[in-house]
Amino acid sequence: MTALNDTTTSTARSVASTRTFPASVGLMRRSLVNITRLPSAFLPSVLMPIFQAIAFSGTFFAITQIPGFPTDRSINWFLPLGVVMGAGFAGIGIGFSTIRDLEGGFYDRLRLTPTPRMSLVTGPLLAALARAALVTTIVFIVGTLFGARLTHGPLGLIPLYAAALGIAAIGTGWGLGLAFIFRDMRAAAIMQLTFFLVIFLTEAQTPLFIMQGWLENVARFNPFNSVIRLSRLGYVDPPISWDNTWSGLLTIAVFTLLMLLFARRGLTRLSDV
Amino acid sequence: MTVTATTMTPRTRPELRQSTVAQTVALSKRSILSLWRQPSLVVPSLIFPLFFAALGTSSFSRATTAVPGFPAVDSYLDFALAGSVVQGILFGSTVGATALAVDIENGFFDRLLSSPSTRSGIIVGRMAGGMVYGCFQTVFFIVVLLPFGLSIKGGVAGVLTMAAGGTILALAVGALMSAMAIKTGSSEAVQGAFPLLFIAMFFSSAFFPKETMSGLYKTLAYINPISYLVEGFRDLTIDGFSASAVVRAVVIPAILAMVAVVLALWALTSRLGAR
Amino acid sequence: MPATTLPIEAIGLQRHFGSGDDVIKAVDGVDLQIQPGEIFGFLGPNGAGKSTTVRMLTTLLRPTGGTGRVAGFDVVEQANDVRRNIGVALQDAAIDPLMTGSELLHLQAVLYGLPKSQHHTKAGELLERVGLTAAGDRRVGTYSGGMRRRLDLALSLIHEPTVLFLDEPTTGLDPMSRISLWEEIRRLNNDGTTVMLTTQYLEEADQLAERIAIIDNGVIVRKGQPTELKAEVGSPTLFVSIDGSATEHAARVMAAFGDLRPSPEGTLGVGLTEGPSAVSSVVRALDESGVTVRDLELHEPSLDDVFAEATGYRLEGADT
Repeated sequence: MTALNDTTTSTARSVASTRTFPASVGLMRRSLVNITRLPSAFLPSVLMPIFQAIAFSGTFFAITQIPGFPTDRSINWFLPLGVVMGAGFAGIGIGFSTIRDLEGGFYDRLRLTPTPRMSLVTGPLLAALARAALVTTIVFIVGTLFGARLTHGPLGLIPLYAAALGIAAIGTGWGLGLAFIFRDMRAAAIMQLTFFLVIFLTEAQTPLFIMQGWLENVARFNPFNSVIRLSRLGYVDPPISWDNTWSGLLTIAVFTLLMLLFARRGLTRLSDV
Repeated sequence: MTVTATTMTPRTRPELRQSTVAQTVALSKRSILSLWRQPSLVVPSLIFPLFFAALGTSSFSRATTAVPGFPAVDSYLDFALAGSVVQGILFGSTVGATALAVDIENGFFDRLLSSPSTRSGIIVGRMAGGMVYGCFQTVFFIVVLLPFGLSIKGGVAGVLTMAAGGTILALAVGALMSAMAIKTGSSEAVQGAFPLLFIAMFFSSAFFPKETMSGLYKTLAYINPISYLVEGFRDLTIDGFSASAVVRAVVIPAILAMVAVVLALWALTSRLGAR
Repeated sequence: MPATTLPIEAIGLQRHFGSGDDVIKAVDGVDLQIQPGEIFGFLGPNGAGKSTTVRMLTTLLRPTGGTGRVAGFDVVEQANDVRRNIGVALQDAAIDPLMTGSELLHLQAVLYGLPKSQHHTKAGELLERVGLTAAGDRRVGTYSGGMRRRLDLALSLIHEPTVLFLDEPTTGLDPMSRISLWEEIRRLNNDGTTVMLTTQYLEEADQLAERIAIIDNGVIVRKGQPTELKAEVGSPTLFVSIDGSATEHAARVMAAFGDLRPSPEGTLGVGLTEGPSAVSSVVRALDESGVTVRDLELHEPSLDDVFAEATGYRLEGADT
């Protein structure tokens, strides 16, 4: 039993340092592995945006005939919307799987490890970004096959990916934070509903100048309108400029920060219930 | 064994009077109650169609004049009502079918089948809640949207026709999803099939006139019976009461309902045959 | 240098939920001193505060009062230091069913910051130790209950903890799996690991624990060595099998040595006021009065008796 005193009194353990980055990557890996293990949870997040892009551009095909519409291809208008929806659900999906972990008790095991608390947020975040990038790429390829064209060349992909990754990050923070607060499937319903509202109360379907009535006022002040605009920059006629880019990037930066803080705070409060 | 056989006389139990009507009514009551008691399952099918109607009215009203091929309407709202009703009924009718799948999963359905009720009574009874709800939804959407500028050119007769059409459509969709529920016995499969209904509705003139579409998409919308059904409802709203609109709004769902009920009974027979 | 060298120490540890009149005092001032190298059994009925206490000591839940120190570190202020030194096997072995055993061990190694070079060997070692080498690449969803528990134990050992918390480690296991898990716990303890074991099974505590504490309504109601506690409950019971005809007569003779106690059919039970040493006197007295004794059994008070006396409950599945 001499060895024992030795270990109980020592303050420094050989395994003492867990750094945020490798731990985050470890957690991200787990989340990505689950894509192949539970495809029924991941597939809809790819199929839904593809369907949405195609169905909206088919149904509202004639909308580009309205004078002044910023593109003459309806798929150009609706592909970025599909991407943003898909990316958002990639983020919210992280919230869903966290609820599963919380309900099943696996999350306690994660909290028991000495990994920096922030990595329990950044790990899932990296996973969401990877999923969102995958979804964006798939939707981009399918959309191109269905006739979408980058108006200003490949450069237009940058705002599309920026908007997608940004929405995914915001969705992750929101999803995690709500999961930590409710710890059951109620959180999932709130995540979906709020996300849905926030995205559709924008220029999602038609540009501001075409709208009539209440939606115009709501969309004008909805900060996420700038993110939807950002996602479409490469697909609409007006040239890409800093003037129509910065507000979307700013919204993403501010909301990502707020939502990650919201998630981090929720994680701390898990120790109080 | 011959000894026992002689002492046993088969009882026909004439005191137990079979009434298909009474059984169907009892089962209907149960399905209506179960919808009433689960507002969280039902409310989204009232809210979402209204949300999309409001969204569309603000987004697309200018399109009704700027896009060639649009019928003459006062606003997109008049145009959208038909789509909203069909959308709401598609949403709502899966609730009953999911409940049926749950009945199968937990064994209650076997108990029903082992009672001397008629098979079609079980199916129709299970659908009755959905039918009442479909009728309610149709009237609800109209009443809620009237203050926002909705006008029904078909008048009271038009509203009544739509309510009838909505009721029958609810039976059609409910029976179709029930066939799925009986075939698979899994509530997940029923919910998984729901997006298919949604897709079917998108490839129709539910949200925009099929005349404005193009290519393969247009072809699909022209083949899709949902297009004609929606247009029946729509003509009652924006044109007025006409025989052709009534036929499309009532007869199309009735044909769909017959096919769906046959499918459901057939699924039931093959389920019983499997054991 | 930490202020204490006790592996686990709680002073006035408290956890209240809610506030005002609705306050629930889940844990209301618990003191524990667990010595290096011991197996400490922590017992209590459901909802007594067992899990809440363990969740506080393992940093999962913040106390509302008092202090807890584990491996020399404060459970609130130095939570990460505590986490580096403890292993926790959770109730129900909550493990992600989609991952394989070795994937989970790797993830655990990353989260504990083990040097990368050790991940593979360490995972292999642990899988072998708990007898899961063959199942290491299978998804946890396909494991049996016993296999999950063993994997759960392996996960909690990846960083060679000095203090091990086992929360109902054998609940729901078949007797064979239970005994093999007990052996593993003893082996770990022999290697110097301090173990805090929460359990519903009194036999388990009796088998493994050197000392136990019983918690009820958020406070510790009994604490000590099982033998001491049993002795406190009172006298041992002597069961005597005799010929049926002489029962009444024998009962009168035995009543002189203590209270008669309920006993199985065909036997008589008496609580020996003077302890085990009175056995020979009872036999002699019966013999002298002409009663033939066919069998004798002396029962020490069980932990179940201790538990029942302390809490007023008897646990489900208790032996008597």
